[in-house]
Amino acid sequence: MTVQTASILDADAIGRISDRFDEPDWLRAHRAAWWKRADATPPPTGQEEEWRRTSLADLPRGAVLLMDVPELETHLPSGAAEHGVILTDLRTAVRDHPKLVERGLGQVDGPASHAHFWALAQAAWTGGLFCYVPRGVSVDGTLVARQTLPRADVAFHPVTLVVAEEDSSVTLLTEVVSPDGAAGWYGGIADVRAGASARVRYADLQQLGDGAWRIGAERVVVGQDAVVTTLNAEVGSRITKLGLDVLMTGKGGTSKVLGILAAGDDQQIDINTVQDLAADHTTSDLLYLSALYDRAHASFYGITNVRHGTKQTSSYQECRNLLLSPQAGAEPIPVLEIAANDILRCGHGATAGAIDPTTLFYAQTRGLDADAAERMIVRGFFEQVVSQIVDETIRERVLAALARRIGAESSDEVAA
Amino acid sequence: MTDELVISGLEVSIGEKKILKGLDLTVRQGEVHALMGPNGSGKTSLAYTLMGHPEYRVTAGTVTWRGQDLLALTPDKRAQLGLFLAFQYPSAIPGVTVASFLRNIYNAIHHPKPADADGERSIKYTGIPLGKFRKLMEEKMSLLRMDPAFATRYVNEGFSGGEKKRLEMLQMATVMPTMAILDETDSGLDIDALKSVAEGINATLSSEMGVLMITHYQRMLNYVTPQFVHVLLDGRVVMSGGEELSHQLEANGYDWVREQIGLPEGTGDEVSAPEPVASH
Repeated sequence: MTVQTASILDADAIGRISDRFDEPDWLRAHRAAWWKRADATPPPTGQEEEWRRTSLADLPRGAVLLMDVPELETHLPSGAAEHGVILTDLRTAVRDHPKLVERGLGQVDGPASHAHFWALAQAAWTGGLFCYVPRGVSVDGTLVARQTLPRADVAFHPVTLVVAEEDSSVTLLTEVVSPDGAAGWYGGIADVRAGASARVRYADLQQLGDGAWRIGAERVVVGQDAVVTTLNAEVGSRITKLGLDVLMTGKGGTSKVLGILAAGDDQQIDINTVQDLAADHTTSDLLYLSALYDRAHASFYGITNVRHGTKQTSSYQECRNLLLSPQAGAEPIPVLEIAANDILRCGHGATAGAIDPTTLFYAQTRGLDADAAERMIVRGFFEQVVSQIVDETIRERVLAALARRIGAESSDEVAA
Repeated sequence: MTDELVISGLEVSIGEKKILKGLDLTVRQGEVHALMGPNGSGKTSLAYTLMGHPEYRVTAGTVTWRGQDLLALTPDKRAQLGLFLAFQYPSAIPGVTVASFLRNIYNAIHHPKPADADGERSIKYTGIPLGKFRKLMEEKMSLLRMDPAFATRYVNEGFSGGEKKRLEMLQMATVMPTMAILDETDSGLDIDALKSVAEGINATLSSEMGVLMITHYQRMLNYVTPQFVHVLLDGRVVMSGGEELSHQLEANGYDWVREQIGLPEGTGDEVSAPEPVASH
């Protein structure tokens, strides 16, 4: 069964999702409330600073909402379940862990620039992920959740909810894959919470088909003394428009915000980040790298917000773009909003440029043909992020996805 | 066909500017030649042209290696035929470790991927086995007395001048070219670094390898002895001789050469230079 959406969803359609899955009253109410929010928060007009670079005119609003969501493939390291770790699709979690989900789902707003889409996903999700790590539990190994979409021309707004309680430790990789072809709308959002002293590594690998519009939002809360690394690897889609908020709300928290973007053809990637330094002694370092082929274009609009009255925060944002074709383009825009006097460090760096011809020549004189030389240089360019991916599973998956875009033959080509 | 690099009547321009103006030079395998000349005489242009730098346009002349027309080939094909250029200013390749770079270039030259690898007969291309390569690299690094930690650094990134030149020598020792062009390998080195780089060259030299050492100064030649010395002035080889020529140059300077061949001091432009005084 599918829900037809003439232009966008309506309240009835949202109700039919609850009917279809025979949802409890609290969830029915939750969806209705978020639908009101979505309705009351109009979609971006294109005048907003964050939306000037991506037009939604051709967003396939009429795409059919995906109801028969293929099973989420999950991998939970052995022994983790016995310690109360949960990794399951969100609908199963509603059934099996209703209290935990009710307590965590949709309790907060997402990135302000993506408020409409955040609310839409909270109201219209038909799939998603629930990951829960109890207090004091450290999970060895990598949690993996992979969603494959059955077709290209659907709308899908999954919600990923990750809760790592106090003093827990977890490494999670989420992946989404869809076929090439017609335009589709992937509106997945992620709500990631690291409690006090938690250690969280969260990587999202996006390999959507070449017709997909990825309008995504991610909100990461870093608790007191927590250490969080996020990685967004965007290698698919026609349009990627991602809003990412990293909220340093707990004193002494640390975040590393990593991004790998590889795009070709007419792909457009537009990332809006906010590093919100809202507590004393917090550290947040962002590094986004993009390799752009053909006519691909990447925009990066990143805000560092050092809140009034905070002490001794440390932050940096760096965005580097490698242009591999004269038609490729990049627009990195860092913004620093500093309202505090006592800061340790707050800086930014942004570059966009082609491979230096002399470097290319240098590699060619060593016997590598022009393509192989370029591949090696691009692969080396990404190493600045790849070397920070300590989890082997994540590193391998990301490199394999990158190889399909940048053409590297094997993952050991550089790392030998 | 003899194993020789033959440069004949080579004229090269970069943009509208003519830099090499009819250069003749022959280097045989097993021979060590020094090409000396002042700044701006065209030394690096010759090195780049021999390796096929796209900005250097050959307007006349020929270059052959073992009878094959080099100018028709891309830089990688020239390397695969045994040519090697040690750069005066080697490029950094961030994110690529020395070990991985060496393995890649070794494979590119000694284990090129079969062009028609397809179908059922194809096997997965892997090049030199990792263990075997490690052994080779360790041998070469110990030959050049290099710290093994060098292998894990990114190619030329944050390297000192001396380290860059040593990495060029390590690459040369690893791929074992049959014709090596060393462009100002002595420049920017203090005496200790110069000695150790020269040791590296000497350790790599063999009867299988021809060498063209391009240099501004004579000091490198105290450690690596050439059999032939040539003087490049204003885009041409204007004088050739044995090792003693380098000492004459050291003692008398390039103006002495200009005097010898009848060029006004400190110039060279717009004057038709005579035939080389000596050649071999």
